[in-house]
Amino acid sequence: MMGDKYEKNCDMIKDTILEVQKQFKEALAKVQEAFALEEIKNTFLGRKGKVAGLFSMMGEVPAEERKDLGQLLNKLKIELQSDFDAKVSEFTSSSSKKEWVDYTLPGYSMPKGSRHPLTQAVDDMLSIFQRLGFDIAYGPEVETDWFNFESLNFPPNHPARDMQDTFYTEGGGILRTHTSPVQTRYMSKHEPPVRVVAPGRVFRNEAISARSYCLFHQIEGLYIDTDITFADLKGTIELFCRMYYGKDVKIKFRTSYFPFTEPSAEIDVSCFLCGGKGCRVCKNTGWLEIMGCGMVDPNVMKAVNYDPEKYTGYAFGLGVERMVMMRLGINDIRTLFENDVEFLKQF
Amino acid sequence: MIVSIDWLKEYIDIDMPLDELADKLTIAGLECVVKEVGKSIPQGVVVGKVLEKKAHPNADTLSVCKVDVGREEVLNIVCGAPNVDAGQFVPVATVGTQLTPDFKIKNAKLRGEPSEGMICAEDELGLGNDHAGIIVLEGEHKLGTPYDDYFASSKILDIDITANRPDAMSHWGVAREIAAISGKIFKKAAIDLVENGPDINELTKVTVAAPEGCPRYTARVIEGVKIGPSPQWMVDRLEAIGLRSINNVVDASNYVLMETGHPLHAFDLDNLKDRSINVRFAAKNEKLETIDHKERELSEDMLLICDGTSAIALAGIMGGTESEVSDSTVNVLIESAYFTPAVIRKGSKQQQISTDASKRFERGTDPNETLVYAQDRLASLILELAGGTLAKGMIDIYPEPITAKTAELRIEHVKRVTGIEISKEECKTTLERLEFEVIKDENNTLTVTIPTFRPDVEREIDLVEEVLRINNLDKIPSMSRMTISVAEEYDKFHPFLTDMRNFFVGYGMHEAVNNSLVNEAVATSGIWGYTPLKILNPLSVEMNMLRTDMIQPLLSSLRLNALKKRNNIRLFELANVIERNDYTDTHAIEHYNLGVLFSAPVFGLNWTGEDKAADIFYMKGILEHLLGSLNFNYKLKENTNRDEFEILYDIVVKKAVVGKIGQYKMEQFEKLQLQYPLVVMELQVGKLFNWHNVKKQYDPIPQFPSIFRDMSLVMDKTSKAAGIFNEIKQNGGKYLVDLVLYDVYIDDEKLGKDKKALSLRLEFRSDEKTLKDEVVDNVMNKLFERLKNQYGAQLR
Repeated sequence: MMGDKYEKNCDMIKDTILEVQKQFKEALAKVQEAFALEEIKNTFLGRKGKVAGLFSMMGEVPAEERKDLGQLLNKLKIELQSDFDAKVSEFTSSSSKKEWVDYTLPGYSMPKGSRHPLTQAVDDMLSIFQRLGFDIAYGPEVETDWFNFESLNFPPNHPARDMQDTFYTEGGGILRTHTSPVQTRYMSKHEPPVRVVAPGRVFRNEAISARSYCLFHQIEGLYIDTDITFADLKGTIELFCRMYYGKDVKIKFRTSYFPFTEPSAEIDVSCFLCGGKGCRVCKNTGWLEIMGCGMVDPNVMKAVNYDPEKYTGYAFGLGVERMVMMRLGINDIRTLFENDVEFLKQF
Repeated sequence: MIVSIDWLKEYIDIDMPLDELADKLTIAGLECVVKEVGKSIPQGVVVGKVLEKKAHPNADTLSVCKVDVGREEVLNIVCGAPNVDAGQFVPVATVGTQLTPDFKIKNAKLRGEPSEGMICAEDELGLGNDHAGIIVLEGEHKLGTPYDDYFASSKILDIDITANRPDAMSHWGVAREIAAISGKIFKKAAIDLVENGPDINELTKVTVAAPEGCPRYTARVIEGVKIGPSPQWMVDRLEAIGLRSINNVVDASNYVLMETGHPLHAFDLDNLKDRSINVRFAAKNEKLETIDHKERELSEDMLLICDGTSAIALAGIMGGTESEVSDSTVNVLIESAYFTPAVIRKGSKQQQISTDASKRFERGTDPNETLVYAQDRLASLILELAGGTLAKGMIDIYPEPITAKTAELRIEHVKRVTGIEISKEECKTTLERLEFEVIKDENNTLTVTIPTFRPDVEREIDLVEEVLRINNLDKIPSMSRMTISVAEEYDKFHPFLTDMRNFFVGYGMHEAVNNSLVNEAVATSGIWGYTPLKILNPLSVEMNMLRTDMIQPLLSSLRLNALKKRNNIRLFELANVIERNDYTDTHAIEHYNLGVLFSAPVFGLNWTGEDKAADIFYMKGILEHLLGSLNFNYKLKENTNRDEFEILYDIVVKKAVVGKIGQYKMEQFEKLQLQYPLVVMELQVGKLFNWHNVKKQYDPIPQFPSIFRDMSLVMDKTSKAAGIFNEIKQNGGKYLVDLVLYDVYIDDEKLGKDKKALSLRLEFRSDEKTLKDEVVDNVMNKLFERLKNQYGAQLR
């Protein structure tokens, strides 16, 4: 029997085709997430999938029906593939979403934080000194008289102590009046060479006004080794000023007095605002006083058992508030310690 | 300190421009500016000549003048002065001159006659009170010359003297500096004293009972002086440097002080009991009325000048009223002494007075030549200005003379310190100009005697400064190559702090800087409960202690902002807090801490409609991020000691409490009308820095896929999530790598009363193989069983 030779005929397969088509559409409609597509692809369109299974039935229908069936199956395959692709693009490309989006809406607002101008300035300056090979050292804010004064060649009852009005604390300590005690603290723990900068808070018992506050920040510098001269100091400070204020800055040294350095000098830089012509910031002098410096006094070396015949060195100290105020045009130092967010958020 | 240029010229020739002189003095250590004192005539006032004078047609008292001020056009000026006449040279304020702040000369019509300026009287130029008539200049003058040029108003140097240079606090001192800078010769006035009176020892007696406070005391006596006003030249000199003239004797004494820098005192000899002087320390409870009319209570370390019975002056600081030279003074005793600097400083601190005398004595005056010169100079000036007869001889009590010190200067040491060559010859010249005496010159080393007026110079290094500061400081080259010493180790703390600062900035926070000085209420409510360290001499009670935490000062900043109606406040600060501890040198322990405070939304108002408040959970998230990135394991332990907190946790790392994190009760801050919860955190970052580990090696990248399992558990509302988390983490087995809580759901109807549902997603992964579902299912079942037993949890 010819008919017996074929187990299936075209009609039977047509039913199966419809069934597969229905299953496919249902499955596709259920898909919520992209990863489920893979499964559908495997189940229906894959090499061992259901469509492939239908094609494999070609041999089971009579030869005269095969052409029609082939066309039918190809149509199915194309249709399913196209539905599948459409679904894929739904997930991969939002442009196919029908919903209209207003892309001119602003971005979500992210709160913008800010660094305090004082700590930012300290960071900027320290990073310059670090590039010049200085390490960073620290010292306590509550100091002993010895470190803050005596070790730095301020004898008791010396008028130099009047240069720095001091807060005394219960139990015999003082609030450091400058970062210079970090010099002797560091030297008493390290053998030369030493090459450090020390940032920190310092305190002065001065009436609070627009120009002066009981608290401010300093950066101290210290370099001790054999063969260190005033010329090294000058070169280092010039380099610092060029890196901080720009390459055209001019600097001027003038003799001054600090008990812990000898010779001592104050350093002026040409006004960054007017370039030296004279303006409000520099009070028409063309110059701004930025720091004190000098060669470490032999008495300071002796205080920490360094041999001043073997070593020489320099030290410098700068006031951060002054530099920040000049730079930002701040007239009242108290602005820096109020923490009004309308001030802070500007930086 | 002010010195007059005119006065300086008595001692030194000045031939360089004053601005250049001021620059050079400044570089040498006397920071100064040139100023003008005296009359200054406004710009626009020039010399003019009255060419013609006619009567004003409409006013009897006015005249109309043609005035030539050296311009093409002759000016027409209406003048009211009776003395104006043709041919006169007069000061003319031309149109545009700002004569006073509210009087500017304009083109005007006076009674119908045009007037193009004003001919000036004395008072109109601020030169005096005379308004009787215009100023008429004598002789011929160039027309149009600024009238200001006729007033060589005296020029002065306003100098900032550093604490080490008492010698420079005088005209002599400045002249000596100029001599060193310019090479001109410094010369002192010669004194020729005639001693016509009786022997001084017949007139007075001086004893020094406290030589430790007064190593030298000299006295002279002048009898029969006539107190009266000083001559004009003296008045002018003193006025130019800001001193008011009093009488001839007092002025002379001030004059010599400003000339030589040596303070002197003149006593009315007749008002001294027993006509004697005794120098001693004060007795207990002793009192003295000083010339500023203050009754002063004296302590026992106060050095006094006394007469036969009682104190008459605070030695070296201020005189007393009783012995003061007055109009009726006839006989004068002149004191020129040297007092121990530390004694004077203590006294002036204690009495809180600083005078021209005390400022010099406490820094150190010259006990030798200058002291004697000043004594003689004052005597001669008094004789010249007030007459009288000088007693024979000078009482001089100087038991242990102070001798000049010597020091050596190795020329090569100059280079070793300064980095530049300064020749031996130049060193020698400079030192000699500064009146150092070179007593030996051998082996490239100078041995010098240091003048006793330079107490700041003692050692070789001080001599180096002298030769550097005079004309050499600006010769030091700017080095373009430098060697540096390399440190063994470089600091990591500062970069750590910078990272931390940037971390919080990334969260939209503003960095604050608060005062370390706070009031008692703030210091005692610190979150750590430290005993505060007190300031013994505070500026005010508002700043009498050091802060003991970061949070309280941040709360003060919050208040300031809230009062200004700022309602999005996110602040952080890094600084030391101070704990009083009596076992350290300074009775203090410093903790470097981080404080964080916010009352703010997470994002702020935006178009998604969500304006979520940043609450304790937001802060916990930040903490997790921060400590997680530093590789710390930590625990939160509830802290119930502080009533003001809605919730407060101790942050525990390595069994130590290293921080606090909490949310305040809103009612604590009702007045501030905060719109968002107030949340704070404090961390001992100094400690964490010492403990934290930088990850040394990477973990292999996962090779096998993760399996995710969700679990939704229904349990009592009061069951704590932290407990569930711990339970899962401890019993989740070695493949559990992550646990996320993604939903908390409360619905009395669907879940039952007082129930909640937690939805968790667990991630399992192995580093060795792809996990089988059965393995994970097994773990999940066990976990669920445990949670069911421990928490009565049901699957939803």
